[in-house]
This record gives sequence, C-alpha cells and structure tokens, in this order.
Amino acid sequence: MIIQNSETTVHEADICIVGSGITAAMMAAHLAEHTTQSVLVVEAGKPTTAFRDRTRARERFLAYGESPWKADHLDDQNAFGTTWGFSPSMHVGGLAMHWGGVSPRYSPEDFQLRSLYGVGSDWPFSYTDLDPFYQEAEERMGVAGEQGPPALDPRGKPYPLPPLPINYNLAQLQQWAGKADIATWSTPSAKNSVERDGRAQCQRCDTCYPVCPTGAKYSPDFTWDALMAAKKITLLTQTLIRRLEADAKTGRITAATGNRTDATGAPVTVRAKTFVLAAGFVWSPHLLLLSRSEAFPNGLANRSGLVGKYLAGHRNVNAYLQLPMELLPGINAQHSLVSKQFMRPGKQSRYLRHDLRIWESSVGREPRLRDDNETLLFGDALLKDWQQRAKGATARVRGYYDVLPDKESKLWLDNTHTNRFGDPMPTMAFKDAPESAALREFQEESLRDLFRRMAKAGGGEILRMENSANDLGQEHPTGGCRMGTDPMDSVVNGDGRAHDHENLWVAGAPAQPTASCCNGTLTFVAVGLKTAAAIAKG
Amino acid sequence: MATSEPRGTARRDFLKAAGVLAVGTATVGSAAACDVKEPTQTAADDQGLERVRGFDRTMLDAVAAAVLPESLGAPAIRAVTDRFVAWADGYDPVAEEMHGYGYADIRYLPADPAPAWRAQLQALDVLAQKTTRQSFARLPLDAQRAVLSATLRTERGDRLPSPLGARHVALAVLAFWGSSPEAWNLALGAQVSPATCRTLGDAVKRPLPLAGERA
Repeated sequence: MIIQNSETTVHEADICIVGSGITAAMMAAHLAEHTTQSVLVVEAGKPTTAFRDRTRARERFLAYGESPWKADHLDDQNAFGTTWGFSPSMHVGGLAMHWGGVSPRYSPEDFQLRSLYGVGSDWPFSYTDLDPFYQEAEERMGVAGEQGPPALDPRGKPYPLPPLPINYNLAQLQQWAGKADIATWSTPSAKNSVERDGRAQCQRCDTCYPVCPTGAKYSPDFTWDALMAAKKITLLTQTLIRRLEADAKTGRITAATGNRTDATGAPVTVRAKTFVLAAGFVWSPHLLLLSRSEAFPNGLANRSGLVGKYLAGHRNVNAYLQLPMELLPGINAQHSLVSKQFMRPGKQSRYLRHDLRIWESSVGREPRLRDDNETLLFGDALLKDWQQRAKGATARVRGYYDVLPDKESKLWLDNTHTNRFGDPMPTMAFKDAPESAALREFQEESLRDLFRRMAKAGGGEILRMENSANDLGQEHPTGGCRMGTDPMDSVVNGDGRAHDHENLWVAGAPAQPTASCCNGTLTFVAVGLKTAAAIAKG
Repeated sequence: MATSEPRGTARRDFLKAAGVLAVGTATVGSAAACDVKEPTQTAADDQGLERVRGFDRTMLDAVAAAVLPESLGAPAIRAVTDRFVAWADGYDPVAEEMHGYGYADIRYLPADPAPAWRAQLQALDVLAQKTTRQSFARLPLDAQRAVLSATLRTERGDRLPSPLGARHVALAVLAFWGSSPEAWNLALGAQVSPATCRTLGDAVKRPLPLAGERA
C-alpha cells in the first residue's frame, strides 16, 4: 500500500527487505512460497543492463574493457578504507549480477573452529543444520556440481544439476594433481550445465565474470523478474533507506525512512511488521549505526557494541606452474578443478586450513615483441616465436586460507565522507586476530611449499608466486553483525534475529562469525535462507 | 559478497590473473546466442561528442602488412586492418571500467588513442622520406621494418600491450591481431577460438587441429 502525504510517501507491507542482492532475492523467493505476507524490497539503485543487452555489453567489455553494467552505482554512496572485496556497485541484483558463479560449501569444520582447533569462534549451529538451506540455495539458483569424496564433501542430497564437464585441459591437470596425491573434481558453479528454468546451457563464453551473455549463469534479476511477474513482491528502486526507527520502550522497529535517489530526493517512509537487512557486510551494519537515537545512542542492535566489528575474510597464495604437458588455453578458461582435501586436515600441530583451485592458464604463452636477443619481432618471425612459446602448459593454482577476525576488524561512520543527504559513509579497517597474525607466515609458506611439491610431482617448475595484497582487507568479506547465542558477544542469534529488536533480522554475509577459506556467496545465501525460514515460521 | 577471481584494477590485470585470453573485437566463430556485432555505435555518439574517425588507409595498410605475419596472406591482413579501424572508430573514450576488487573508486578508460596513432602514421612516412627518400608505403618490407624498428627502439617486449594501451599504432595493430581468437588458434595450432561462445559438450574433446595440420 502507498500513502502520499505532504511530507513523505509512505509504503506499507508485512515484511520489508532492505537490499536486492542475491541473499535478498533468495529470501524473497522463499517467503513468497512459505507465507502469505506481503513483501516489499527496497533498493537504493536502479536495475542495470537488461538481459537482452548483455551480448553487446560483453562485446564491448572484451573489446575495450568497458563495464558491462550500466549506471550500477551511486557516486556518493561508497565505502572507504581497506576495501578489498568491496565493489561500489549498488543496483538491483547487487554484486551477484557480476559474480563468477563459483558456489562451494564451507566445510563442517568451519562451524566448530573453537571446539576443534581452539581458534576463532564456533557458530551457533552446525553444518548439518545448514545443509538443507545449502540445498535450497543450490536448487533455487541452479548449481552444477560433482559430488566430491563424501568424507570431504558431505551433503544430504545430490546437486540439482550435473557438473560442468572436466574439459580437455582440466582432465590433464587432474591427472597431474593425482600424481601429487590431491583429489580434485569439477568446481560447483551456479551455471546451467543443462537448460533450466528457461535459461540456456552454458556456452563457455568465458566471461562469466563479469557478464554472462546467455543467461546460463544465475543472477538475481531472473528471480526478481519472476517474482514481480507473479505479483509476489513489490520492488521499490532508487530508494535509499537511511534510518530505522525503533520504539524506545519495546525496541520494535516501527519504520524505515530514507529518500529517493533520483533527482527529486523525496522522502520515503516504509512501515512494516518485520524488517530484514539484506544489504551485505557494508551497508547492513552501516544502517544500524546510522540509526542511533536518544534511546539507542550506539545505533540499533548494538547492546554488545559489536555492530560493525569482527569483519572477516580470507587471503590467498597464488602460483603459476609450468608443466611438461600440452594445454590449449581457452577451451573453458573460467572453469576449474577444486579440492577440499586441505579444508579437513585432521589433527595438526599448528592451525592451517585452505581450499585449492586449479585452472588452465595462458600466462607465459603470450606473444612478445622482442626475442631473447632483444631483437624486435615482426610478421612471421613473431608468429613463429609465439608458436614456440605456446607449446607446453601453464597451470594456475590458488589456496585461500582463513583469517580469523579481530574485534577491531571493523567498520565505522566516517564524517569526512558524506553522501548527498549528509550521512557519514563507512570506513573499514580489517585486522587479523592475534592468533591468526601469528600463523600468517607459517600458513603462506605452507601453501608455497605445497605448490612447489605439486610442481615437482609433475616434473614442472614454478613460474611465479604471489600473495593477496597485504593492505586491502580480505576476500569474500563477511561480518559486522555476527551471530551467536550470547547477546553480549553477538548482534543476532542463530536465525539472524537481532537480540535487541524482536522484529529486526540481519541476513546472510554480515551475520557470519567467520568466513572459511573458500568463496562465500553460497553460504551467504544459505544463512539468509535459514533466516527466511525463521521469519516464515513467525 | 565478492567473486573469487579475478581481481586487479583493470581488465588487463583481470585477464592476466585469470589466464583468460582476450580478444580485440569478438568477430570470429561466435555462436548465434552471442550474435556479436561490430562496435560502431558508442556512448560518445549518444552524447553528441564529435570524434575524428578513420585512418590514412594507405599508411595503415602498409604498417599492418609490415607487422602482421606475412603468411596470413594479403586478404586476411586487409580484413584485420578493416576490423582494427572499426574497433578504433567504435571506442568510447573515458567510458566506465568494470569495477574491480581491491579498490572502491570508479575508474574510467583512457582518452582516445587514435589521434596519436594517426599522427604516428604521418611521422612514419616523414621518417621514411628523410631516411630513404621514399614513402613508407612504397618501401620494400625489410626497409619498412627497419623504419619501424628505429621508431620502436625503446619499446620493451615481455608481452604485447593491450590494443588500447599501445603507445604506437604499429603495436596497436599487432596487439589487436594478437588478441584475436584466430591469432591464438594459429599460435596453438588448434581450433580453440578462445573467448568465443560455443557448445559446452565439445569442451571435453581435444580441439581439432587447424586445417592443413595434423593432430
């Protein structure tokens, strides 16, 4: 319902979801199926490049490096500080409009780090508890996956789609990894390995990141389009929620207020029974901190003082290995092999868990302008030199290792940067917990040693190795509204409900206490779906 | 939420990091679903910005013939040059770049490199006139390459630059061809056609050899 008065436009719904990224899309789909309550989704940005325009957007990305996603941000709505993993994108569908689609699950150990290894934090639920929501996430977005060894890759049901094929290059790399006693399989991906939901089969265009022209890769616009066509939700775009209003006595959230981000800047109010923050690890805690009041001087949901704290993520060591085999790079270059062998390490003297990914690579096989004698190469001489260099093979390997978050790994309001409405923008600083900082050298050297052993097992050599940039925060960032059972040690409970406000929920990435050592999107969504199920139960 | 790879501050970094092969302009072997068209209409046109387009084709054709593999044959070299002109003319200066990981600011593509490239074509001809008393286009291949070598003496060659990042028109043409699927096929000796949309099932097979080559 929309009410226009002289001061503001008022929208009313049963459930208000702030943010329209992948977690919000999955939650809205779940709520539409499991409740009769009305759902209003509020997004600060606009829809970006329509599906029909993505072929041309891909073409121009390849030709010139242009962004395929038009008008996908607000110039004055941005984060500062160590923003590794942060994109200024703010539009319908969020970052998952241009994600890579890689969808591994965390391992069971991730939920019990303190109990098993004496580091980090336990989650308030187990992997087994999350398994049905992982499955739901995989089915809603359509994940193509291969069952790994059950001990390493437990799951309650099979993947919804058959795996993307191990292509010619990866098949050879898989044999090589086997010589190093590493079991690998097809990386689970939210890409159609067969036609599904009216979307095409993958055509290995190799631009999954940043744009899939065929619709084979899942992106949230497909879900939003379907939900709106069925009149299951209302999507309010170009509306920035700047504040949640809470009743001083009961703590209940009574309204979300903000402004249009179009030229009018007109005020907007949303009234709802239930409010859900699904705006990611930056904007969810940011909104809670912005919503401070006399009754809640530290912001909402912040009795513990932990809103914006414990930002988490992981880092990697990456290597390029020259191998004595023949690869033909370009067959399906964004697909890869994965191993979870090192995510379940068993008893060990020092804490180290990491994932492992293997790709084909063209590094070292490109054309060059001068030969070894520094003579300029033109014409057939250049081609002949290139043909020589193109023989052989390069593999790229990468291991993410988890970084345990410090309380002071945080986001705060920074008055030196404000948006058009005068709101302070967030600044972030990632910090390793002391136990994690003490392990860093050991962890990175262990990964380098693994890559050396892998090269040796295949009779190859390391071309180069590199680490994540040191000062840019961490990858697949999470946290800022960590979940837990103790209201003094967490912001939300295991379902994502704020300890301090019975009708406020924080969904997905910001609720996570730790960030594992693999891509996080599937887990963000699964955690969000667990929250949606709790909301639907009432 | 973020993707695992790639990262970096520009498309070139992305392509290096991911080991993905770039194409200068995707015109080869595209499946119908991709239906790639030539990039002629640009945002610059939409904004009413006037740009000088086109090149001195006599000079550009001569440079292309001097730098590209002669074994391609004259018609193929001409076709590459045609596509290079369409690509350069279709460039939209200072368009927004893809947002990368590791930074939060919005970044933009560079100014139009074509005016400098056009001036370099003129300069090549002037240099040829000064050193050989002949037009560059009329010089034999070895002499053309000598003029180009003198012009490019300070260029380093670990890799060809990206076409858009080429500081000289000769490198731009070479890099444009070198980033195309057909060039990679020639280098690999197989019908890989990188960065081209096609069926998924064929990925498991070793790509076929090029016509005239044995597997």
